[in-house]
Amino acid sequence: MVRTKRWLAMLLAASLSYAGAVHGAQSALVGTEQVAAAQGVVSADAQAVAERARVLELLDRPEVAAGLVERGLSAEQARERVAALTDAEVAQLAHTLDTAPAGADGVIGVIVFIFVLLLVTDILGLTKVYPFTRSVR
Amino acid sequence: MRRGVVARLAALGAALLLVGCALPPQTRELTDAPPTGVPVRTELASVPFFPQTAYHCGPAALATALGAAGFTAQPDELAPQVYLPSRQGSLQVEMLAGARRQGALAVRLPPTLRAVLEELAGGHPVVVLQNLGLSFAPGWHYAVVVGHDLEAGTLLLRSGTVERQVLSLATFENTWARGGHWAFVALPPGHLPVSATENEVAAATVALERSVAPAAARRAYDAALARWPGNLTLAIGAGNSRHAAGDLAGAAEVFEAASALHDSAPAWINLAAVRLEQGQAKAAEGAARRAVARAAGDAAWQAIADETLAKVLAAQPQPTSVRRRTR
Repeated sequence: MVRTKRWLAMLLAASLSYAGAVHGAQSALVGTEQVAAAQGVVSADAQAVAERARVLELLDRPEVAAGLVERGLSAEQARERVAALTDAEVAQLAHTLDTAPAGADGVIGVIVFIFVLLLVTDILGLTKVYPFTRSVR
Repeated sequence: MRRGVVARLAALGAALLLVGCALPPQTRELTDAPPTGVPVRTELASVPFFPQTAYHCGPAALATALGAAGFTAQPDELAPQVYLPSRQGSLQVEMLAGARRQGALAVRLPPTLRAVLEELAGGHPVVVLQNLGLSFAPGWHYAVVVGHDLEAGTLLLRSGTVERQVLSLATFENTWARGGHWAFVALPPGHLPVSATENEVAAATVALERSVAPAAARRAYDAALARWPGNLTLAIGAGNSRHAAGDLAGAAEVFEAASALHDSAPAWINLAAVRLEQGQAKAAEGAARRAVARAAGDAAWQAIADETLAKVLAAQPQPTSVRRRTR
């Protein structure tokens, strides 16, 4: 009886320690993006991970979400869009949005000048703004 | 005085005309010396057409390229993924991400007309960014090149509301150059672009891994690795996507080969991790020790290599402790 108990205890202990080993026998793999950055396949940006966290945190703010909805985009859609970008792309995007010129400002004279210039260059085949013009070539 | 002004205007006009008559460099090259290995004309007639609505050239061009690659998506569905209402347009980086979200490998092309023609010859329509205005008054536009005719010196595009736009090579090159010669192809995972560089394909595949199921990522990595067997990033991706799909034996095999070929710390680390999960303690320890040796002094991998070895050692069978606990 004592012998059986002892056997049972040993079996239980062994299986417990085995379960513990299986549970603990996991080690993180290095992500492909991390290797790509180290290999110079994508531009390495130490801030990229933090940049992503910052962007996602911004999307959690109610005033940001409201501003997005006003512009025809839900916070959820924005989050999914950020999720589809690589770390390097998120960093690039943050940079693009900061530096891209916002809105159109200009005086009528400039607009007229550009309109005429574009019409001329369209005809020369340098640009293609007006569908009714045909290149001279 | 008056005459002087007229003369100057005439000179300006002549200068403009001269600029207009000079063929842009790549067009001149193609015209002077037609490239070998590229057919004289192509037309991918089966590429679908989605006429764009106001400012939605991005979603329309994307739907066109995706449709040709076998992914059905309407511009309306793509707009919430790539369109920025505040900017009335789509960012290039989001065009690539939008294609990936539908499951397509989106690869940037080299900035040459020749690359565009090679993709057409390979049956791949090409999404291009044109600046239809001028550099200081941009009119950004996405279109899809679906054919060319070197004899006539023209390209065929699905563009805006025009299903079959015939555009002279010279005009296209001018508008394309002002868009930074930006172009990409969207392909089903497992297919490769004809012209893209090893680096662009690797970057595109790594980015795809984020958006698609492990099986699709594996197909993309395998195809790219078959073409560039010496690329470490692709090998890691081929192993990681197998691991994510639950194929431990396959992952181990890939990491085993990559470790032998590159003797690189991340390859050893991942091999150790997979061997550990497989319950192969000895093999895991061997790989982890190689990882630690290889990562010594390398800030990028040293910490994670040490951690991997620690985990591998902690998981080693320890009969003494079992006996102790049973007492």
